[in-house]
Amino acid sequence: MDEKEIIKIHNVTKRFGGLVALDKVTFNIYKGEILGIIGPNGAGKTTLFNCITGVYRPDDGKIFFNGLDITGKPPHRITQLGIVKTHQIVKPFNEFTVLENAMIGALFGRRAGKISKDEAREIALKNLELVGLIEKKDELASGLTLHEKKFLELARALSAEPEVILLDEALAGLNPKEVEESLDIVRMINKELGKTIVMVEHVMHAVMNVANRIVVLHFGKLLAEGSPKEVAEMPEVITAYLGDKDLALKFVKR
Amino acid sequence: MDIDEFFKRPTPLFILILLIVILIAKLLRLETTDYLITIMFFIGIAMALNIIMGFAGYVSFGHTVFLGISGYVFALLVYYNRDFANLMNMYSGIPIFFIALLAGGVSALVAFLVGIPVLKLKGAFFAIATIGLDFAALYIIKAFIPILNPEFFGAQIILPAYALAYKDNVFVAMYITFALIIIANYLIRRSRFGMGLLAISEDEDAAEALGVPTTKYKLISFALSAFFTGMLGAVFGLNSGGVDENLFNLAHTIDMIVMIVIGGIGTVMGPLVGSIIYFILYDTLLVTYPEFNLVILGFIVAVIVLFAPRGVVGILRGKQFMGKKLRDIIE
Repeated sequence: MDEKEIIKIHNVTKRFGGLVALDKVTFNIYKGEILGIIGPNGAGKTTLFNCITGVYRPDDGKIFFNGLDITGKPPHRITQLGIVKTHQIVKPFNEFTVLENAMIGALFGRRAGKISKDEAREIALKNLELVGLIEKKDELASGLTLHEKKFLELARALSAEPEVILLDEALAGLNPKEVEESLDIVRMINKELGKTIVMVEHVMHAVMNVANRIVVLHFGKLLAEGSPKEVAEMPEVITAYLGDKDLALKFVKR
Repeated sequence: MDIDEFFKRPTPLFILILLIVILIAKLLRLETTDYLITIMFFIGIAMALNIIMGFAGYVSFGHTVFLGISGYVFALLVYYNRDFANLMNMYSGIPIFFIALLAGGVSALVAFLVGIPVLKLKGAFFAIATIGLDFAALYIIKAFIPILNPEFFGAQIILPAYALAYKDNVFVAMYITFALIIIANYLIRRSRFGMGLLAISEDEDAAEALGVPTTKYKLISFALSAFFTGMLGAVFGLNSGGVDENLFNLAHTIDMIVMIVIGGIGTVMGPLVGSIIYFILYDTLLVTYPEFNLVILGFIVAVIVLFAPRGVVGILRGKQFMGKKLRDIIE
């Protein structure tokens, strides 16, 4: 992991009416890392993702991607620049086949408009292979299990050929075995494909294990930032979110 | 596209056969020219609406507004401009097509401008907003036409003799318009633009998140759809010898929507087959049971929708034929 920042979040504030969902949040995401974002429900994690991907426009502050100000750009532009999000609630194109789903990612992603359908098919196949959905490529996405739909989200995102992948609770609702499989794939995407990964996650042992660094949000504020071990030992994080110090450390060790 | 690929897929072949059959029917006088113009109009409006409703999933309920707008624009153009009127009976009627392009352009412009706010609405809200557009345009025209020329009877424009075209010339213009619309449908369905539209109809947020410029795509498809609908309204108005407020009648939209739904949404073949079935049923029932035709038609449509909610072609797409999934070959 080199220490070059790929995304800079500077002083970002987002309000919904009287509720301050994000309050002057500032931190960097570094190239090649796996960053975990944790915090209680309502801490602003998903709002932060939505600000980065352009779904929401921050009321204040700036977001930079590779030095370029992307604040307030529409979501499809941000995807084409190289940041892709997978959805917390999976959103497959049900009437499309698995392959077509992934092809949409390739056709409209980083190389949108400069890629032929055949090339898009190649990229889609490669990524379906990677997440283990290659055998189901001709099935309709509506027929997949939740677990498979989550992998399809990932294959679709990868097909857009992003530099940064944002995983919004990609592990929620999966059984322990599926979580392990998913983590292996996340690690592989990070190590072998060199993608920067940011994950919002509640499955604590998973995120503490796989992430290089952790950011903790609490009531819209940045509460802590550091390695999983550092974060697990911080008293303020324990009170706000983890609850018990011994338990917190157990997550890291596993 | 090479020839092999062309014939492996039934849709382009079907389009080609349909175009040839209509031409033969005309040349051999198997059907009256009026009948042929009407069937092309019916299939055409279904295919035109298909671009926004079938592909992008936006049910434009007031779509008949574009028949009206372009019908009136065309009628006024040939009424007031003798050059245009004279051109209509030259070069086999091809100039009619170009005047219709102009009239369709006006509808496309209206759709584009109205689409900017209205396409932000979804589902029923979009449908209701388009109905509002239809009524707004109708009332503007009802107020405007009598001011323009007190000789017009209310909002009705009856084209004078110098502004009429020979039936054969109208046929040529309608034929070119019709061919343009169904070929455009096929090309859109096969393109990246078409895939983007279908993704929008499945899940707009997911499409945007994957890089599909949803706002732009919706606007383009709405404007294109209005453009083609308008061209048909223009040529059909000429064929009827004039236009009146009935062009804005929402019943036309219901026809369009029903044709798409009984055929199968999201495909090219669906509305093509659906509109042919619907028109033949409609026409036969009108002749055989002039009093009950709509009751029987309504019943048949209800049965189709109940038992084949994805339409006739939609059902076929789920089946296999000789070991091949039909879904892969029927677009």
